[in-house]
Amino acid sequence: MDFLKPFIEVYTPDHLKFLLQGFLVTLKVAAISIVLSFIIGAIVGTLRYAKIPVLSQILAVLVEILRNLPLLLIIFFTYFALPELGIEMEITTAAIAALTVFESAMLSEIIRSGLNSIEKGQTEAGRSSGLSYVQTLRYIVLPQALRRMVPPIVSQFISLLKDTSLAVVIALPDLLHNGQIIYAQKESYVAPVFIIVALMYFIVNYALSLAARRLELKQS
Amino acid sequence: MIEFSKVNKFYGDFHVLKDINLTINKGEVVVVIGPSGSGKSTLLRCINRLETISDGGLTVNGVSVGDKKTNINTLRRNIGMVFQHFHLYPHKTVLQNITLAPMKVLGQSQKEAEETARHYLDKVGILEKAGSYPSQLSGGQQQRVAIARGLAMKPEVMLFDEPTSALDPEMIGEVLDVMKALAREGMTMVVVTHEMGFAREVADRIVFMDEGRVLEEAVPADFYENPREERARLFLSRILNH
Ligand SMILES: Nc1ncnc2c1ncn2[C@@H]1O[C@H](COP(=O)(O)OP(=O)(O)OP(=O)(O)O)[C@@H](O)[C@H]1O
Ligand SMILES: [Mg+2]
Repeated sequence: MDFLKPFIEVYTPDHLKFLLQGFLVTLKVAAISIVLSFIIGAIVGTLRYAKIPVLSQILAVLVEILRNLPLLLIIFFTYFALPELGIEMEITTAAIAALTVFESAMLSEIIRSGLNSIEKGQTEAGRSSGLSYVQTLRYIVLPQALRRMVPPIVSQFISLLKDTSLAVVIALPDLLHNGQIIYAQKESYVAPVFIIVALMYFIVNYALSLAARRLELKQS
Repeated sequence: MIEFSKVNKFYGDFHVLKDINLTINKGEVVVVIGPSGSGKSTLLRCINRLETISDGGLTVNGVSVGDKKTNINTLRRNIGMVFQHFHLYPHKTVLQNITLAPMKVLGQSQKEAEETARHYLDKVGILEKAGSYPSQLSGGQQQRVAIARGLAMKPEVMLFDEPTSALDPEMIGEVLDVMKALAREGMTMVVVTHEMGFAREVADRIVFMDEGRVLEEAVPADFYENPREERARLFLSRILNH
């Protein structure tokens, strides 16, 4: 039963509390980024769908650039390069900013293609009854598109939550970061720490997927 | 009430409507026929500016459809449209499908809009489906809801683009019956359809189109028995013998 020893040693109330503190930072950063990136993504996705001259093209270029960069690079850039340009942020803000920018681009694509997936006939039916473009979008296209978009949006949220761990590179005191501090004390701690860290990520993300599945079932 | 004068339309280089001159009077039922690709749908869709014309004049009730000063949403209130594939809103019940525009465009109260909706649902014979979703209805029922949705705006004109060609044969009759009743009540109607029975019974005029032109206009009896144009004769022999 020797292999149990490090587990018993690691799972002390103090360590667990420290890990939970890290997890709260993860959840906070993720939650704020999710809300912000959903709002920005929805606006950008809708503006691109609406094909507003110039504006839509500029947004398209920005989105394409962001989507094709590694998130890690965006995080580095936000924390290390922006201060050179006079924009300084503390770690948590920098992590939220980097995640929000990247995830907004991803979500805007999901929302744009969701809107595009609604048959043109729906818009024509709405417009020909005298509804304005915005009314047609609001009452006819968007509600249908949002239903279709729930699964990809939730899986994007889940990957956002996981991606917060990339912010360890700028020393964000999140779950993974605090885990590293604990297992740095002793080599035998590595496995037990990873297991409990994994468990925490898994529980929250799995709960999210279950909630999404519930929502989908309710709609169909 | 609807007047095309020398209307031309291009899709890029493709000349889809050529020098269209056509007048549709109040209370008239006009049936548009012609081979596939001849421009029937395009002609119809120009009337409520789902398509824009390239040049010429097009007016509805004296109002120029293409004019930038024309409020298109105001104009469209007055023009109902029924599509081949119904285009009901799948996330809304039958009743909500019908009340949406009257509430949001005309500013009717929910109560008022629902009363009107029930009146027209009764008229098209499916009042009992008010609470259903479109996916729970047959094709014929969906198309009747689409007609009720158009009528609920109390338009002066109704446009129909092949309203029965996506339907199973046994459901065509129920939709045509609703349209015939409408025609007899004096609704101004422009109908793209190959249903000869309908045309003979209620149409005041047949407009035959080919390759973007109006080739012939005639009363149904003359047109079907003795078309002047060789193309029309050919077309009729094809649809009659298929
Ligand atoms: N958006 C578009 N862009 C380019 N060409 C188009 C477009 N819409 C229609 N056309 C072309 O214009 C022509 C006329 O089309 P239209 O739909 O008006 O014909 P139609 O008489 O209604 O035919 P059908 O009986 O098949 O419905 C066709 O050749 C079609 O391919
Ligand atoms: Mg057509």
